[in-house]
Parts: sequence; C-alpha cells; structure tokens
Amino acid sequence: MTIHAGHAGAPRKALPPRPSVLRQMWTSRADYLYVLPAIVVMLIVIAYPVYYTIDLSFFKTPPGLQLKDKIFVGVENYTAILSSEVFWKVTLNTIIWTVASTLIAFVLGYAAALALHRDFAGRAVLRAILIIPWVISAVAASYIWKWMYHSDFGIIGQVLVQLGLTDRQPNFIDNVHTVLPSLIVVNIWREFPFAMIMIMAGLQTVPEQLLRAAKVDGASAWQRFWHVTFPHLSGVSTVTILLLAVANFNSFIVPWITTGGGPSNASHIWITHIYELAFGRQRWGVAAAYSVLLFIIVMSLGYFYVRALSGNEKKEEGP
Amino acid sequence: MAQVVLKDLVKTYGSIYAAKDVSLTVNDGEFVALVGPSGCGKTTTLNLVAGLIPITSGDITIGNRIVNDLDPKDRDIAMVFQNYALYPNKTVFQNLAFPLQMRKLPKSEIETKVKDAAKVLDITHLLERKPRELSGGQQQRVALGRALVRDPAVFLMDEPLSNLDAKLRVQMRSEIKRFHQDLNATIIYVTHDQLEAVTMADKMAVMNGGLLQQYDTPANVFANPVNMFVASFIGSPAMSLVPLQATTVDGRTSLTSSEGWVLPLSDANARKVAAASSHKIVLGARHSTIKLHKSAVDGAVPARVYTVEPTGDITFVQAFLAGAILNISLPPTAQVAPDEMVWLEFDQDRIHLFDGETEMALRAS
Repeated sequence: MTIHAGHAGAPRKALPPRPSVLRQMWTSRADYLYVLPAIVVMLIVIAYPVYYTIDLSFFKTPPGLQLKDKIFVGVENYTAILSSEVFWKVTLNTIIWTVASTLIAFVLGYAAALALHRDFAGRAVLRAILIIPWVISAVAASYIWKWMYHSDFGIIGQVLVQLGLTDRQPNFIDNVHTVLPSLIVVNIWREFPFAMIMIMAGLQTVPEQLLRAAKVDGASAWQRFWHVTFPHLSGVSTVTILLLAVANFNSFIVPWITTGGGPSNASHIWITHIYELAFGRQRWGVAAAYSVLLFIIVMSLGYFYVRALSGNEKKEEGP
Repeated sequence: MAQVVLKDLVKTYGSIYAAKDVSLTVNDGEFVALVGPSGCGKTTTLNLVAGLIPITSGDITIGNRIVNDLDPKDRDIAMVFQNYALYPNKTVFQNLAFPLQMRKLPKSEIETKVKDAAKVLDITHLLERKPRELSGGQQQRVALGRALVRDPAVFLMDEPLSNLDAKLRVQMRSEIKRFHQDLNATIIYVTHDQLEAVTMADKMAVMNGGLLQQYDTPANVFANPVNMFVASFIGSPAMSLVPLQATTVDGRTSLTSSEGWVLPLSDANARKVAAASSHKIVLGARHSTIKLHKSAVDGAVPARVYTVEPTGDITFVQAFLAGAILNISLPPTAQVAPDEMVWLEFDQDRIHLFDGETEMALRAS
C-alpha cells in the first residue's frame, strides 16, 4: 500500500457557493430579533426627528401661522442661508471657535498630562484640582466667567488695571473683536481637563520597557518622548481631537449663557444661531435647513472618528 | 568586551531588600546567567548593572571604570528585553539605527553597521518591515541586532526567550549561545528557567530573596548545591528532599524516619552528619540516582507509588516517602502502578545531605 504525502497532490475542492444575503439573514434571524427593541427605539428617537427636520427644511413657517399650516418653498431656505451674510459670519466663527478651542485645549491637556505623569509631592491634589473645570456645571461656570469678564465689576479687568497693564477695564465680551477669543478662553478652560484625562490614560499604556530600551540606547528625555511616547499616543490623540472637535462644534452652553451670540452675532456659532432662529424667532424652516447642513458636517466628522478607532484596532491586531 | 565586577551590591525599597550584598565577577567573554524564581532579585541586579535603577550601596565596575553614577548610555552596555522592546513605529532598519543615531554617528557609518549586524543575524531581508510584521523569533533577532550594532562592552539580557513558544525557545537558545561564541561577548543573562541557565551559561548565579546563593559553573552547581534552595531549584525534575532524623547506635550512624524505617549511612556520609547542628537531617537525591525495587531489598526503604508519568524515553515515578514526594526515573519498560508498594535504594556516593536547621549542605569535616 502506498501512502500519499499530505494533500499536496489532491485536487482542491471547489468552494461551496456563497449563500444569498436573505438566506444569511434568515439563518441569523434570532440575532435580528434581539436587536429589534433597540432598533425600534432608535427609529423613534433618531430616525423620525431626522426625517422630520429634513422635511421641515423645505417649508416656510411664518410667525402667526400654526406649524401644521406651513408653506412648501422647496430649497428656498437653503439658498437663503447660503446667500446670507450672517451665515458666512457664523460659519467663520464656528470654524475659529472649533479649531482654536480644540487645538489649544488639546495641547494644554497634553502638557498637563505629561507634567502630572511624573512623580512629585502633591500630584494627586493637583490632578483633582485640574479636573474641576470639566466636572462643574457649565451653566454655573459660564455665569461666573461672565461676571469675571464684566466691563465694570469684572475681576480680570481689575487685576489688569492694578497690574498697570491698562488704564481702563477692558470690555471683553461687549466688544465684537474680543468676544470670541474671550469665549474661546472659557471653553478651553472647561475642556482641557478632558484632553488631560485622555492623554493620562494613554500614558499609562506606554510600555515601560520601551522607555528603558530608549534610555539604554542613549535617548534623552525629549528624544524618549519624541520617539516612544508621542507615537504611542497617536491613536488616543486622534480620538481626543475628534471628540473635542465634535463637542466644540456642537457646544451651546458657554456661548449662549455668556453672550447669547452677541454683540451683533460676533459670538454666534452654528448651534446658538440655529437655536435662536428656531426658538427665538420661530423660523423653524430655516433653522431646520441649518440643522440639516450641520448634521451632514457632524456625520462626516463622525465618519473620521470611527475610521480612526478602527484604524487603531487594525494596528493592534497586526498583519 | 570587558569584565564586570559587582561588589556588595545592595538595593532596598524602604525596608525591603531587593538585592542584598551581591558580589560576583563576570570575566571578559563569559556568559553568566542570573537565575532564580520570581522576585529573587535577578532582574533588579541586571537593572542595577544597566543603570536603570539607582543602587543603594556597593560598587559596579565595567571594564576598569566604576559606573555607579553613570547614565545607562554612558556605561557601554546594550540590553535585550523580555518583550524585545522594539520601537513599533520604526522599521527594522530604523530600530537598529536608533542607538547609533543617538550617538550622532555619521549616516554612512550607521548604514554600514546596521547592514553588518543584519547580516550576522540573518535579518537583512526584514530591514524595511515594521516589528508587528515579524514573528516572535524574528523580533528577537532584531532586538539582538539593536544590541549588537552598538558593539558594547557587555550585553545584558532580561529573560529574552520567555515570550517565545517552546519550540522556538529551544532554537533561539542555541542561536544566542552561538552568538556568544562567535562574538566572544560578555553576557549577563537573566532567566527564571534553570534549564536555559544550565544549557547556555559558562557560570550561573543562583539567587533567592535578594541574596546570591551560589555562583559557579552549571556542572558544579548541579553536582554540589550549597543549600536546599539551590538543590531544589536546579535540575528537572527537582531534587527530592526527605526530612529525617540522624541516630547513632554503637558508632553506626543512620537516618530514621517517622515511618519507622532506618537507612544506614556510609562512613563518608556519617562524617558529614556529624557536622550538623542538630539531629534534623534532610536527605536529597536526584531522580536518576534512586533505584526502584518491586520487593524488599537490603538497604532499601519502603515507599508507596503516587503517580506514574511516561514521557517516552523515560518514565517518571513519584513516590511517597516519610511525608515527602520523591521523583524517580525508570526505563520506559518498567511496570509500576499507582498505590503499589516499592522499595527505594539510594546511592550513598551520590546522595546529598543537608542540615535540617540551617538548610545548608553538609560537608565532611
């Protein structure tokens, strides 16, 4: 009797035909049943409002008219928005607000995390203090900052006067040039602890042996950071920046409470503007059209967020 | 290459000694294994030599320099880590080049050195890959390469094989041994696997509880363990240790057990027992030196079989004797069943005797 060595010579079996999608769905029908309640809830609380908003964006809702008597105007709301001066001003504000808040909060948080990663006396206390801006009520914080910026009684202005940096209390938030930077400062103050916590968590995962290896290889503290820590944190950094960007793009409390978008729209960003259009001026159709545009932008950011997350997973899985 | 001398090295964390009065000399070109169980101080000792943790007291000399206060990079050492510690975002080439770049060598020289090291370790074809695209063995070679390019005075290796699977470990074991022979490198190698230490090292330093227990060639450590710890740690399966009582009747010294049997000792062994601090004696015997009989024989003691483990070319039998478990190796043809009564005969020239109080090996006075 001869024994064949392995299956090398045997003809390869043809793969069975791939089952159709419907058949696959039918075989895993129980799985669909399990997620059904969640899908139903999502349809009610997400899909329907999205549909309704899109629908509403094609209608005009003059004040005095009931919402059910809205008038169909096609894409007029969209053309009105895109051709209005306020739209471009608010868009520019939103970009400045989002980019500046995100990047500066991230850099500050990163630096704070690196500083707190070292072992020193009082580290735990300092860490707790630095987290406070993030955990206290945003409404309360906005009111406090509003008073600190006050043109007559604000402590910031008084300190500046006493230091001799200026003669008169500066008008931080009633001035079209300084209002947005002033609000961005508040926002950064509120958000950098989030970046700090994320980066601190990331720092825990930097392999000690890699840092030691770099030390033996002759790398200085800065080189160890640049060659080991920084690349190791690239994933968590991307996620942090994206989360901050989405949060800033959608932020409402700080600008709304502090200035309400004024003076003369100088601190309006999309969200506060939409809110004012809808609930202040009852221009539901225009507000809905704005919301649809916002939805598209946020979904694109969300797409990059998911891609960054899955990219990290792939990296860890290896080839 | 250079000599490494540790003198009364101490490392404490609070009141805990991680390493206590460790003194040993690693000669130029020697391969020394630091071996011991987890927490014995071996990795601490290696990190002290590397300069990754500060010493509490003592001296470390590499070459002719005392390096106590030098940074790791100034000690002329290279280190290979347990999980290779390759820079994941750099290619193999960049990983090998990194220590040279840190020394600001010219680009052309870096390239030559990296290529030479890659050739020695047979990783030239991997130079453009990232570490995650490599197998465990290849990563290990890259880690060795990164140590090799620096042409250090001493190679420090911290359990470099423990992340590999059993088969690859055996293969890399011989590759590292070959690496040592070809380069005539001074290597300090930390492992918890006594088999690695025995097979690879010129000398082994057995550590326990922060203390250096014995520092000698593997053959000597195996043949003459200084205490019960070394005896039970080195050798696989471990040396069996049986606690007994020494009695002397009419000038004849014997060991008696709580089970009632008596094992008469040879004159040489009797002299060793006479040096003990008390009557408590621990009898040590390696599996291959114990004879197993199926019926009572003169000079043999009764035991009960616990388990039988055939491994192919050797069958290991574990047997109860005076409250201890003994390992005995038998030819595969041996027919023994669990719970069977057997009689064990010890080779008087090859047994080890330990002081039951101090746990130190007894030597003839």
